[in-house]
Amino acid sequence: MSTTFRLNLSFIYPIQLLVMIFRRFVEFYLPYKPFLRYQAEQIMNMKSPYFSIALLLMLQYAAFGQQQFTVSGVVRDGENGETLIGASILALPSEIGTTTNEYGFYSLSLPQADSLVLEFSYVGFQPIRKVIALKANAKVDMEMGSGVQLEEVVVKANAYREQLKSTEMSVETISPREAKLLPVAFGESDILKILQLKPGIPSGSEGTTGLFVRGGGSDQNLIVLDEATVYNPNHLFGFFSTFNSDAVKDLKLYKGGFPAQYGGRLSSVIDVRLKEGNNKQFSGSGGIGLISSRLTLEGPIQKNKSSYIVSGRRTYVDIFTRLVNNANEGVEDYSPIPDYYFYDLNTKLNFELGEKDRLYLSGYFGRDVFGFDGDFFDFNFDWGNATGTVRWNHVFDAKLFANTTLTYSDYQYNIENKLTGFSFNLGSNIRDANLKTDFFYALNNKHTLRFGGNATYHQFTVGRLKAGSDDGSVSFSAGNDYDGVEAGAYISDDWVATDKFKVNMGLRFSGFFNDGQSYFGVEPRVAANYSMTERVSLKASYARMYQYLHLVANAGVALPTDVWYPSTAAIKPQRSDQVALGVSWLLGKDYFLEVETYYKDLKNQLEFVDGAEIFANDNLENEFAIGKGYGYGFEVGIEKNEGRLTGWIGYTLAVTRRGDFKPIDDLERFSDTGYFSPVYDRRHDLSIVGIYELSRKLAVSATFVYGSGDLRWLPGGRFTFQDVYGGGFQVVTPDYLERNTYRLPAYHRLDLGLIIRFFPKWGESDLTINVINAYDRRNTFFIYLEPIFRQESDGQNTIEVPERIAAKQVSLFPILPSVTWNFKF
Amino acid sequence: MQRFINYSFLFLAFSIALVSCNLEQEIDINLPGYESRYVVECYLEPGQPFSLLLTRTASYFDPFPSTNAEFLDDILVDGATVTIVHNGQTYTLQNGLFFNPLSRKAYNYLAPDLVPADYEQSFELNIVTPEGETITATTRILRPVPLDSIVVEFLEADTLARVLAYFKDIPNEQNYFRRMFHEHSLDSIPLQDFATDDRFVEDNFVFGSAYDFAVGDTVFNTVFHIDRPYYDFFNSVQTAASSNGNPFGQPSPIISNLQGTANSIGIFTGLSYDRVMTIVER
Repeated sequence: MSTTFRLNLSFIYPIQLLVMIFRRFVEFYLPYKPFLRYQAEQIMNMKSPYFSIALLLMLQYAAFGQQQFTVSGVVRDGENGETLIGASILALPSEIGTTTNEYGFYSLSLPQADSLVLEFSYVGFQPIRKVIALKANAKVDMEMGSGVQLEEVVVKANAYREQLKSTEMSVETISPREAKLLPVAFGESDILKILQLKPGIPSGSEGTTGLFVRGGGSDQNLIVLDEATVYNPNHLFGFFSTFNSDAVKDLKLYKGGFPAQYGGRLSSVIDVRLKEGNNKQFSGSGGIGLISSRLTLEGPIQKNKSSYIVSGRRTYVDIFTRLVNNANEGVEDYSPIPDYYFYDLNTKLNFELGEKDRLYLSGYFGRDVFGFDGDFFDFNFDWGNATGTVRWNHVFDAKLFANTTLTYSDYQYNIENKLTGFSFNLGSNIRDANLKTDFFYALNNKHTLRFGGNATYHQFTVGRLKAGSDDGSVSFSAGNDYDGVEAGAYISDDWVATDKFKVNMGLRFSGFFNDGQSYFGVEPRVAANYSMTERVSLKASYARMYQYLHLVANAGVALPTDVWYPSTAAIKPQRSDQVALGVSWLLGKDYFLEVETYYKDLKNQLEFVDGAEIFANDNLENEFAIGKGYGYGFEVGIEKNEGRLTGWIGYTLAVTRRGDFKPIDDLERFSDTGYFSPVYDRRHDLSIVGIYELSRKLAVSATFVYGSGDLRWLPGGRFTFQDVYGGGFQVVTPDYLERNTYRLPAYHRLDLGLIIRFFPKWGESDLTINVINAYDRRNTFFIYLEPIFRQESDGQNTIEVPERIAAKQVSLFPILPSVTWNFKF
Repeated sequence: MQRFINYSFLFLAFSIALVSCNLEQEIDINLPGYESRYVVECYLEPGQPFSLLLTRTASYFDPFPSTNAEFLDDILVDGATVTIVHNGQTYTLQNGLFFNPLSRKAYNYLAPDLVPADYEQSFELNIVTPEGETITATTRILRPVPLDSIVVEFLEADTLARVLAYFKDIPNEQNYFRRMFHEHSLDSIPLQDFATDDRFVEDNFVFGSAYDFAVGDTVFNTVFHIDRPYYDFFNSVQTAASSNGNPFGQPSPIISNLQGTANSIGIFTGLSYDRVMTIVER
């Protein structure tokens, strides 16, 4: 050594003493701290004379005061350029990691290094390791599945690792693969119906897509499609959802522990993200089925920089029914089959404007049309959603990402009825204009902040009625227009307190302003995750939600005529408080077990008063009664995502009650005092789902569901109503007492699917054969009580005399086979 | 209106149900325990005797007796004490079985006295049931609202006409009406029978029909001027009757205006109406 390097190192000797103590500590207490162990081993292996210098240099690596840089970027699918949501990035050997956000963006703070390894992983792709030198903030984008990888260690992407460590709990996801392979009615792959197979999410009545999450009503679900709110996610009475699964990239349903960026509905958040479009080459997919067909076309506008995707679907049963009607024209007593069709169209354009900005334009249009043209009257019913969204992503710097969205949406329904000389038009609509901005700030590895705000201007027309004769001699109109502004602002921090304990603390402020009436709410959101071991995590969460818009629905099947109503002076916002506790357990290599229990408290719930008049009522408010509700339950789910056999088993045991309802208007009545169960108080709900890949060409899938029957409000007794002269004599009139006391028979069903894949030159295709309700179980759709009469004559007059009452059950779906041919190019 | 829309959906549901085969089957049901209660129908019609029908409800699946006599026996409640007080006078209704051959309605309590056409003072009903419980109610008779005119209109090139009935709403108050429309005779099931209020109407009401009537057809237009309790009761009975069998229906308990210690449903109201018979001619 030359003299220039001679340092006074006498202070090293006390450090060597500390090192010995440190060594003891390392041996016994740090088996799971690879980074510290790495450092400690370095220290322990000091024998060289350069030990002191090494130690000095390493002290600079220690947690305090070292140089940190940010690595950020976007992770995409190498085949089509789609950004990947929730992809995992792990820096080795430090094991500091993060996941990509909804736009595929990630940000990591890492210490300076000459060389460090970044491991990118995502379900369905081989993990990729990339070696980088970190001496300044770095932008590292990655395309998965692009074949660039190190071969030495093939680390199987553990899909559950992120789920185990995340503070997110009470979340269900559906992958596009599951959506495609699981058998569904009519061969129409339907994301909402598959969500109903997950624990905590029982389905609505037979075949419908209504979601009653943890005892909440079907209007308490916030459904967001690329940041735009969807008011009615159903076609045809709820047999099909409005989501075309070919266009969906990612779907997450939160049952509890709602992150602070979501607000406005009490019971669930369904965040649906559409694909952006293949920005590398033109491709398409679609299918032809029994009821409907669909086609998706996507491609680049400018390769690797911008792309488009157009996805459409239409039913064509109406073509056949019209043919049948034409053939039967003129036949006596022939009642024409009503015309029914629906279509949906998703369109999206996305542009990369430079390194820091991306712009997305998307639109959704869906319509259901039902028509009946008879001899004497015409009846036309159409309803639909239309939404348009503009989104702008901006990366400020390596740590700060923002998304701003401007949305316009229009939901309406129209009933038109024409008798000869008279017409009648009933409708309702909601128009929203929404501006929203969300910031994602990876402050450091311990704190990830999200903050932002949104404001929505709602315009409602409720119960708009116009009726009149063609000559104008009779006309009347009614209806109410409301407008209101709903706003929210939030901040949340995903805090890695220690490496075992993470907490996501959030606060959301929300408000609603309507006609001089204003409401404010503070919604705390807390979710915590404690990693007991590498395989077991304990989770807990609390969330308060406010809901300012209310769906006014009939007790029966959900209809598009159900009306959305704003909070007013008399109708306060609904509120829910939910506490959830859970354990997540990674069993073996492939199985993931989640057990959760929750309690939910609901306030300011709405029900209709006895004999409510819903249509054409200028004072609709007076038909409501306000009360409370609560629900609690226990959910177990075990899942396997890898291997030939994949699937899950989910079981939910739950109780839901509502009660203490008092009418707003004193003149009205709500006869049920105390607490009662809503129709969807399903006690048990079991789903067993499995997909087995027999070979590259063949896969089979099966779904078995079993649930306690829903409840129905059946009459307790009957009486004879004589009426006045001129009125009809009703021998059997129902006397309805307490609501929803009758439980329908248990609902169960087995669905089977077979997928035969072909690999022609131009792409891929498959034939999907489904059998729904394989053992032809006649599940109850509804029950009615029918008096059976017999004729009795006293010589002069014949009257009908009742003999007995028969209970009749109507089912909707017998065994339903279907074939769909799907293709992809 | 709501019922019409409900029936349209019912039609759709049944079309779907009928298209798929054999989806309806009879099942066994055990309804929760039900306690029978009283049903009172008492309409005060000026010029007619005081009459009341007191029956009891049955559990829904109770079998029906095989003869008419047994049926009446089962449902009619006899042995109650029924009185109506009006303007200081108490009218006692006798228990029996009384049949009005014109209206073909039966009553089991009747007083020989006729109901006075008093639109000012209230009437009070008092029933003491055979078990000793009470049913009470109060009502007033509203002034009848006359039908101004009945207009028969033919379509230009057609042989069928429609019938329009006009009457005037009473201004400055909330009014309720029941409209009936019969073809051929009042004994038949009415073509139209509904109750409505006056919220859409400024001053003139008009009720119409479809173009269904040929020359020589007889139609009856009736408009009852009813009070809020009867409006609620009638609508709740209609809703209850129509929601059985309708998957989109919202059932309704019967809304009554009866008080007292007995468990009862029913109505005590005045009956004021105007009825016009029209024979269709050009």
